[in-house]
Amino acid sequence: MIADVQRKRAVGHILLLAAGLLVLTAISAGSVYLVNKAREDARAVQRTVEVENQISLVQLQLRRAESAQRGYLVTLRPDFRTDFEQAMSELAPALTRLGRLVSDNPVQRGLMDEIMPLYEQRIEEFRTTMELARSQRLNDASKIVREGIGRDTMKHIDDLAVRMRTEEDRLFVERTTNADRSQTLAASITGIGSGLVVVLAGIAIFLVRRSSRARDQADARLRDSHLNLEATIDERTADLREANDEIQRFAYIVSHDLRSPLVNIMGFTSELEELRGDIFKRIAALSRAQSEAPPAPENATDTAEPVLEGPDQKLSEDFSEALSFIKSSIGKMDRLISAILNLTREGRREFEPVWIDTKELIEGIVATVAHQAAEAQAEIRIDALPNIVSDRLALEQIFSNLIDNALKYLKTGVPGEITIRGRTKLGFAVFEISDNGRGIDPKDHQRIFDLFRRAGTQDKPGQGIGLAHVRALVRRLGGTMSVASELNQGSTFTITLPINWPASNRNIRI
Amino acid sequence: MSNPVTIIMIEDDEGHARLIERNIRRSGVNNEIIPFTSGTAALNYLFGKDGTGLDHKGGALLILLDLNLPDTSGIDILKRVKENQYLKTTPVVVLTTTDDSYEIKRCYELGCNVYITKPVNYESFANAIRQLGLFFSVIQVPPAAI
Repeated sequence: MIADVQRKRAVGHILLLAAGLLVLTAISAGSVYLVNKAREDARAVQRTVEVENQISLVQLQLRRAESAQRGYLVTLRPDFRTDFEQAMSELAPALTRLGRLVSDNPVQRGLMDEIMPLYEQRIEEFRTTMELARSQRLNDASKIVREGIGRDTMKHIDDLAVRMRTEEDRLFVERTTNADRSQTLAASITGIGSGLVVVLAGIAIFLVRRSSRARDQADARLRDSHLNLEATIDERTADLREANDEIQRFAYIVSHDLRSPLVNIMGFTSELEELRGDIFKRIAALSRAQSEAPPAPENATDTAEPVLEGPDQKLSEDFSEALSFIKSSIGKMDRLISAILNLTREGRREFEPVWIDTKELIEGIVATVAHQAAEAQAEIRIDALPNIVSDRLALEQIFSNLIDNALKYLKTGVPGEITIRGRTKLGFAVFEISDNGRGIDPKDHQRIFDLFRRAGTQDKPGQGIGLAHVRALVRRLGGTMSVASELNQGSTFTITLPINWPASNRNIRI
Repeated sequence: MSNPVTIIMIEDDEGHARLIERNIRRSGVNNEIIPFTSGTAALNYLFGKDGTGLDHKGGALLILLDLNLPDTSGIDILKRVKENQYLKTTPVVVLTTTDDSYEIKRCYELGCNVYITKPVNYESFANAIRQLGLFFSVIQVPPAAI
């Protein structure tokens, strides 16, 4: 549930950011577009003004040309002629420019087309009259002027110019309005966009604050549960330790109390055995007396078996058999009880971590089993081993148990090869004890570590305690232990122990 | 042995008591053996009605003590005997199944004279008791008085 909410929240954040980005992009794009549009509008307005300006200029130059013509016709002074030529030279480019400026407007272009011949006609008239005047035909010239054709043309030109101006005025108003609209639009888009961004930012801030508050709460909860967990672990550890101590005490007391009756059973069994000797001696004496056989020579010693016959012989044998079974069972039970006692004693022993030269320690163990090794024709090889800090006695017990086992369960008739290897791995020392012995069926790999359990052919003495004990020790030393083996393929026991076993772990019993 | 020593055997297990007695007798020790099966009865006898132990002033005793008793701890008996002014010179032989080294050390600290672990193996057991009997026959027990 919480994960779902968190996912929704994350999606919300992403959507919010995306929306903000989209709005900003839209604003930027709109602004760029509108600014461009405004610039275009401004340029159009400017052109309108320019066109009007140009129209005035053209009119002005035409008027100037006209007045220069009039002046010349009246005075015939060449100054006016020069004036006229100047006006003409300015009129032509002004017209071209005007034509170019209005080339994008069909209305103006139509007007232009209309006006151009009129201009040319008028200029032609000016030139004709001036030419006539120059060639002393003033009368002809005056006549042309008086005819008033020129005035009509002029009026027509003025009309057309007014129309052009009107058109331009209209365009001016239109374009100004356009430009105003673009600017207003740009301003409002920027305004709305900024508003949106501010709103989005507000939402984002709100969301971030909410999620950070949620995170703080989650943090607090996590801390709480962490503390709870630690307390729980401490509690459980204490419980476990107590339970473990109780089991140890229980095992200790039970094994002691079991031993007490065992002393009696064994004691009185031995007494019985002694009585048995007396009984059968008497039976033998009685049967001899009954059969009136010649008296047998007195037994040299009390312990010598009396001579018995038939059913008496059988009785005596049965008696002996029963007693020997009782005695061997007692012996076995005593060994088991001793083993439990030793285990509990080991469990109660305080470990003392010291620096240990592992190779030297194992060489010492190998020296003590040298005799057995020679008997089994076994060779024990010790590779370089990592030194560790641990409990010396525990380590001795671990390795001597494993080496004993390796020697004990070799294949008959095959010279034994036992190798002890070592290496380090991530703060742990790994020891391997390999042999070429009879091996262990994989289905028994767990069983061999259980107390009083053994595997394989039971042809060697033992109580099934060694490996259980070794594993308990390894665990108490903060390590682990495992076996890799196949039947008839030898076994490898691997022990992993911390290189630097801290003294603080000393009292943790597993 | 001018003053015959009385052996006080404090042993809750009658079988053990019987075995011990038999083996002591077999070793040729014929001193009187007074068996007790509970700590309370033994304490009553040792310290008398007044609880001072004055009754045994001048008598010669030897105590055979089992540590695992049903009513009192053998350690307590040992402690009380060794703290009593009339009884503290009495030799105490602890004969028990416990072979815990800590327990053994504690007994010697409290003044026990001999500590013997009862072996299950009867041969060893009988042997231990017979040797103890031999020991009894040679040690000089001082009269329990000052």
